[in-house]
Amino acid sequence: MTSFEEIKSQWTHQKVVEIPDQGHKIIIEKVNAIKNKQKYTNIILLITILVLVVFFVYIAAYNYRTVALALLLMMGSLGVRIGLELQSIKKLKQLNVNISATNFKQTIIKYYKNRVRVHMIYTPIILLLYSLGFIIMLPYFKESLSNGFYNYIVISSVVILIVLSLFIYKQIIKELNALKELKDND
Amino acid sequence: MKHLEILFKEVYRSNYPKVFRLCLGYARGDEMLASDLCQEVFIKVWENLASFRKDAAIATWIYRITVNTCLIYFRNKKRNPTSNNTNTIQDNSDENLHQTKEKNIDSLYACIDKLSKDNKSIILLELEGIPQKEIAAIMGINHEAIRVRIHRIKNELTKCVKNDII
Repeated sequence: MTSFEEIKSQWTHQKVVEIPDQGHKIIIEKVNAIKNKQKYTNIILLITILVLVVFFVYIAAYNYRTVALALLLMMGSLGVRIGLELQSIKKLKQLNVNISATNFKQTIIKYYKNRVRVHMIYTPIILLLYSLGFIIMLPYFKESLSNGFYNYIVISSVVILIVLSLFIYKQIIKELNALKELKDND
Repeated sequence: MKHLEILFKEVYRSNYPKVFRLCLGYARGDEMLASDLCQEVFIKVWENLASFRKDAAIATWIYRITVNTCLIYFRNKKRNPTSNNTNTIQDNSDENLHQTKEKNIDSLYACIDKLSKDNKSIILLELEGIPQKEIAAIMGINHEAIRVRIHRIKNELTKCVKNDII
């Protein structure tokens, strides 16, 4: 291949690809499956929230102001984080692909900037609030749980916190790189 | 709904090979990856087909979706260089010819992969024989700028392929 015309000829004479026989049907089924999966995810989340509310009422947490505050901090921060993540996934899926590549790139850059903002500002605040709620609950855990189980909860929560922080750090780096790549790409 | 499904079947069958070839270019010749990518593209086509306004040719509309889907699909993805070549010794001349062709196309994929994302999209559309005016509309860049850019990328690509083969 020495000239562009030869390259083009090579390109157009590639082996002919076979069209999947029921490919169009598989696509439609896949879209329906994705929609169903979203429906189930929403149902599971709703049930989780209901279970937490029932638990809150069951232990009559509202009678103990500190416990109520701690539980609300933990449940609230978790709820907000899940909400942010779901919103972000929804936004990514709803990106309009029917626009010019230049405009689309700008939309993705905006999306990633928003993701980085969530990771760098909201997530640490959420993590802090969750940890605060957990720390407030510790004396109550100590009071009502066996020594071994209490120690287990404390140690495992520290491990979870470290793993979660590392995961968030990796996610930030990954999305910052994606943003950089999109901006550099010209 | 039935009418839309019939239309989608038609669109799918008439555009699949073109979209697949374009995806192969983005996926550096990796057929499995191209197939996944192709599926993503047609999922978007199906989801947007009802809102497709006939102010552009359907093929141009699909190319636009393909370019944008590939941009988002390959965001920050590290890919291993793939090659369809196997290093088996073959003494049959037909097979040697086939091997040479495979090698040529592989080095073309490798050279396309070296281009920036925008340039990759532009040259893949050019290789597919899309008129430059349509490429300009798909990319959102004015016609004159596209013309100059295509000329530059063509030279870059030809030089790379030449060096790769020699």
